[in-house]
Amino acid sequence: MTTQLGGPATRALPAPEKKVAPEPRDRSLASQIIKITLLGLVVAIAIWASFPLIENKAWIGLALLAATTAALLYLYLTPRHIPAKYLAPGTLLLIVFQVFPVLYTASTAFTNYGDGHRGTKQEAVVAIQTASVTQVPGSIEYALSVATTGDPATGPLVFLITDPATRAVSAGDAGGLRKLDPADVTVTSAGKVTAADGYTVLTFGQASLRSKEITALAVPVDGGAIRSSGLSRAYEGKAGRVYDAGCDCVRDTTTGKTWTADGKVGAFVGEGGDRLAQGWKVSVGFSNFTRVVTDPDISGPFLRTLVWNFVFAIGSTGGTFVLGMLVAVSLHSKRVRGRNLYRVLLVLPYAMPAFAMLLVWRDMFNKDFGLINTFFGTDVDWLGQPATARIAVLLVQLWLGYPYMFLVTTGALQAIPAELSEASRIDGAGAWQSFRRIVLPLLMVALTPLLISSFAFNFNNFNAIYLTTEGGPFAPDNPANGATDLLITYTYRLAFGGSGAQYGYAAAISIFIFLIVGTISAIAFRRTRQQEEVYA
Amino acid sequence: MKWFKKVGWRHAVGVVAVVFSLGPILFVISAAVNPLGTLSSSQIVPSGISLDNFTKLLRDTDFGQWFLNSVIIAGTASAVAVFVSALAAYVFSRRRFRGRRTGLLSLLLIQMFPQFLAVVAIFLMFATITDYWPVIGFNTWWGLVLLYLGGALGVGTWLMKGFFDTVPRELDESATVDGAGHAQVFFRILLPLVAPVLAVTGLLAFISTINEFIFANIFLTDSSAKTLSVGLWGLVAAEQRNTNFGMFCAGTLLTAIPTVLVFQLLQRYIVEGLTSGAVKG
Amino acid sequence: MRIRAAGVAGALTLALLAAGCGGKSDDKGTAATDPSAKAATGELVIWADDKRAAALKPFADKFGTENGVTVKIQAISKDQQTTFVTASQQGSGPDVMVGAHDWIGNLVQNGAIDPVQLSDQQKSGIAGNALKAVTFNGQTYGVPYATENLALIRNTDLAPDSPATIEDLVATGQKLISQKKASEILCLQVGQTGDAYHLYPLYSSAGGYLFGTTANGDYDPKDLGVGTPASVNAFKKIAALGEKGNKTLKRSITSDNSISTFTGKKCAFLVSGPWAITDVKKAGIKYDITPVPPFAGGKPAQPFLGVQTFYVAAKGKNKALAQEFVTNYVTTPDLAVALYQAEPRPPALTAAFDQVKGTDPDLAKWQEAGKNAIPLPAIPEMAAIWDPFGKAEAAVVGGADPAKTIEAAGKTISGSINK
Repeated sequence: MTTQLGGPATRALPAPEKKVAPEPRDRSLASQIIKITLLGLVVAIAIWASFPLIENKAWIGLALLAATTAALLYLYLTPRHIPAKYLAPGTLLLIVFQVFPVLYTASTAFTNYGDGHRGTKQEAVVAIQTASVTQVPGSIEYALSVATTGDPATGPLVFLITDPATRAVSAGDAGGLRKLDPADVTVTSAGKVTAADGYTVLTFGQASLRSKEITALAVPVDGGAIRSSGLSRAYEGKAGRVYDAGCDCVRDTTTGKTWTADGKVGAFVGEGGDRLAQGWKVSVGFSNFTRVVTDPDISGPFLRTLVWNFVFAIGSTGGTFVLGMLVAVSLHSKRVRGRNLYRVLLVLPYAMPAFAMLLVWRDMFNKDFGLINTFFGTDVDWLGQPATARIAVLLVQLWLGYPYMFLVTTGALQAIPAELSEASRIDGAGAWQSFRRIVLPLLMVALTPLLISSFAFNFNNFNAIYLTTEGGPFAPDNPANGATDLLITYTYRLAFGGSGAQYGYAAAISIFIFLIVGTISAIAFRRTRQQEEVYA
Repeated sequence: MKWFKKVGWRHAVGVVAVVFSLGPILFVISAAVNPLGTLSSSQIVPSGISLDNFTKLLRDTDFGQWFLNSVIIAGTASAVAVFVSALAAYVFSRRRFRGRRTGLLSLLLIQMFPQFLAVVAIFLMFATITDYWPVIGFNTWWGLVLLYLGGALGVGTWLMKGFFDTVPRELDESATVDGAGHAQVFFRILLPLVAPVLAVTGLLAFISTINEFIFANIFLTDSSAKTLSVGLWGLVAAEQRNTNFGMFCAGTLLTAIPTVLVFQLLQRYIVEGLTSGAVKG
Repeated sequence: MRIRAAGVAGALTLALLAAGCGGKSDDKGTAATDPSAKAATGELVIWADDKRAAALKPFADKFGTENGVTVKIQAISKDQQTTFVTASQQGSGPDVMVGAHDWIGNLVQNGAIDPVQLSDQQKSGIAGNALKAVTFNGQTYGVPYATENLALIRNTDLAPDSPATIEDLVATGQKLISQKKASEILCLQVGQTGDAYHLYPLYSSAGGYLFGTTANGDYDPKDLGVGTPASVNAFKKIAALGEKGNKTLKRSITSDNSISTFTGKKCAFLVSGPWAITDVKKAGIKYDITPVPPFAGGKPAQPFLGVQTFYVAAKGKNKALAQEFVTNYVTTPDLAVALYQAEPRPPALTAAFDQVKGTDPDLAKWQEAGKNAIPLPAIPEMAAIWDPFGKAEAAVVGGADPAKTIEAAGKTISGSINK
């Protein structure tokens, strides 16, 4: 957020939360005790949090932790920086759990991060080599026992393998394979070695603790290496593709074909332009952004989608607000009996899990089987025509959202002193007049910011569309963009609907959307300044 | 007629709104008590009445545990969020400092970033946290509560700030003249006055937390650690939608109970909130 | 007033303290579920969806006690594949993943799973088409345990004889409607955005295909069948069944209501999979399962074959144990039988199939219906098909021009494949 808020404390690492009571100016004993206790708690948590950091030598993390703790102590012990005292707890949480994820996500817009390009080059090489290991044709399947010559937890690992045909037992490690004397080993009927002189056979429990070493162990033999397949079988395998650091390429061991690393696209590319599926994440500069601007799939329906997006956001916010306020004002009178019951019943839609109700609504709009057509005796293909589908999603939004506005307005109405409107009535103003002149402006002071945030929320209300119409109906010749698509659902389809998720691209589009909605909200927000100053 | 003008129309609006609100819910109730419990909403009158779906839900799933998890997570997160939010709203409303407007605007803007994209970053972050501090890592309540608290400053702060703005400044100014510190003004004068909005914000935070899905889904994977929304979704995921729809509806109805209870509990504050006497101190 | 305020403040502070201290005094059992706690034995973490997680639990426990390891089953309720890939990448994924075989292409390109090495004996114990489905680029990428495919489920009270062709089915359905015994000809889910999976048998019977195959039988992403003249012809036949045709296919029949419409006796025919049978039985309907009929004179109607599979996670913490579990434990019939009992889908292990087929006459019928089935394409490019193809279906069923619609869909698909 801003520099003023927390001073040095605004930088934080994911430490446990810090809750600090504000400092009262009068140094009463009780408040002093509370304050010292809470600060003590902060220090205690910081110390607790530091141990794993020290253990793992995470010095940067430790420095951040120390700096944050020191800043918090300073902040609450000095009489200055009063706003920061109040903002620090929330700001810390905000930075760690919201700002950081958002910035991280935004940064992926400059990469090709997505399916097939999620990890590092190193990981891609490992994946390619692992995926290419196949059993050598005609080779033997061995029964395996994992053993060690030393302590079960730490001693060097040995594979004791049994040839199922001859029942000959060999011991193998990274140095190679050597036969064991049959007299020294005990073999079960299934071919598993249960005991061998000079070796301790590991139980599954013991072996499973050393999983990484077992997976990594390959006993070299002619034509390949013997590897474990689980803990009880071994096979002779050979990597079909190997990475060659010399040419920075992957080579197929049978055909000799090579794929050379291309750092620009994050993939191994063959001579014919074919790519290996396992790629890695690379920086691609602004190409995701230029793609957003130049892609005709985006620019074509963009304007239409944007306009509907505004209609949806404004319609949802406005509709719920008007209805919610109407109901709240209606019930805001001592004369109305059973207000409590009304309120509970009205809040119910909001109390139900929204995703569940979206599914229910979708079904109610069904043309042949839906409750709405059955109930009203109509035969409207609600979700199959652009206009009715739009009405339908707005109606659903109204249903889901107006209890929220009702609650908020009810709360706001309580905060408006009754004398104010009563006084105006004594002055001879009618009920409507006194509402319009006195109550509504005061309501708007409290609620304008909320309306802005509601607008912002609905502008990106992914679930409202995705769980009802999925963006449809779609024109027959354009399956990519539907009549009720919001920018966010459209983005989702573009970025995740094709072959695999393209996070980098999605992040780039999101940044564009963010700029649009952010600008509008910021402009709307400027207007609240006047209101605020009038009543503050 | 005079009665209608004074009170009656209020009832009329209330009744219409209640009908509108309850229509779809009746359908859910119908499906919940219908032993076949399938999703086909052409009829609102169930073909039979039984509590099978409820007993099955309680017997065959970890519903009770989900319920408990949800109430604890949502209760803790919303209580803390209200407090943190109120602190911030107080200074946003009462103090003038550099970066105030920017701060408010930033709070709004940060909410606009699509959440489903942030999932990757959350994974990255909590994988590290789980390594260092497992008690607040994946599969823990505290981790999820902390994650939710990241949004403590947000819409709630805006809502409260708006309300603080409607409380006349003279009140705290006169208290300051009487020698009260900023903390006293906040705790003793403003907080009681805005009790209704604390209640409303608390309720809204509670509802949105208990319904949150995206993060709860990736965060809590043990069946016993799941929250209601994740557990219920699991019931109707993919091709099981028809089979479990009755149970799902039963669960949906039961999910509304804590919210309604919280509402009832806070109703006092919301409704009584400010009597005309309270404004005077 | 003041007392109340103090109460509110006090309660909030208490809650706050509880939250703050919670980090330390953790007594809610969360420590037990903490993944990185130092376990005395090796630990195996398995992810599945909710239903399978519940079915797996007893067997996982058994595997754990027999072998002295800890096995944890965790259920992912939604977006299993994405969650698995993302979690794996960040090192917080499971050791074993349970999921559909058509994930393989995407999981491989993300390096999220390892191949498994099955012995010839183990391979021969698995149904041939199931084994083929989990084979990708010549490697076996998991162990299949159950198969599923669409079939025609028929209410034998309403329609005693199984229809030989779609045309027969339509005629029977129309007769039932005119006799007021049913209100729909066929319950085949379409919905407003279509459903490629359920349409495919008809589409293939009408001569359409999605991807061609290369010489060695793998799907070839360069040979896209959507938008070709064959697909246009297929969609013309489908249009004749649509809302402007004889109304056999309707957008108002959706994934939400197709089964319940059938169990409500409003249609005599349902195209669905083994998962529908639980409901059909519950509704007390006499039924039979037969292959989805082809168009008269058309090609055979091929449903997709889906294979439920155990995968070994490439970035799991305990790969050796995961390999052991998947290759040597999942391949035993006991587990497959138990999973069958949790959910009646034909086991992919032939030994398990033979064991249960005596008690469940449906199994052989499902297998018969799946005789022509082709494995769902597991190549990553398949992800680009579902959405546009489904929408084209919905549009054509709703009465749009087949040629224009399917060509637009083909363009969209090839566009997103080549990006």
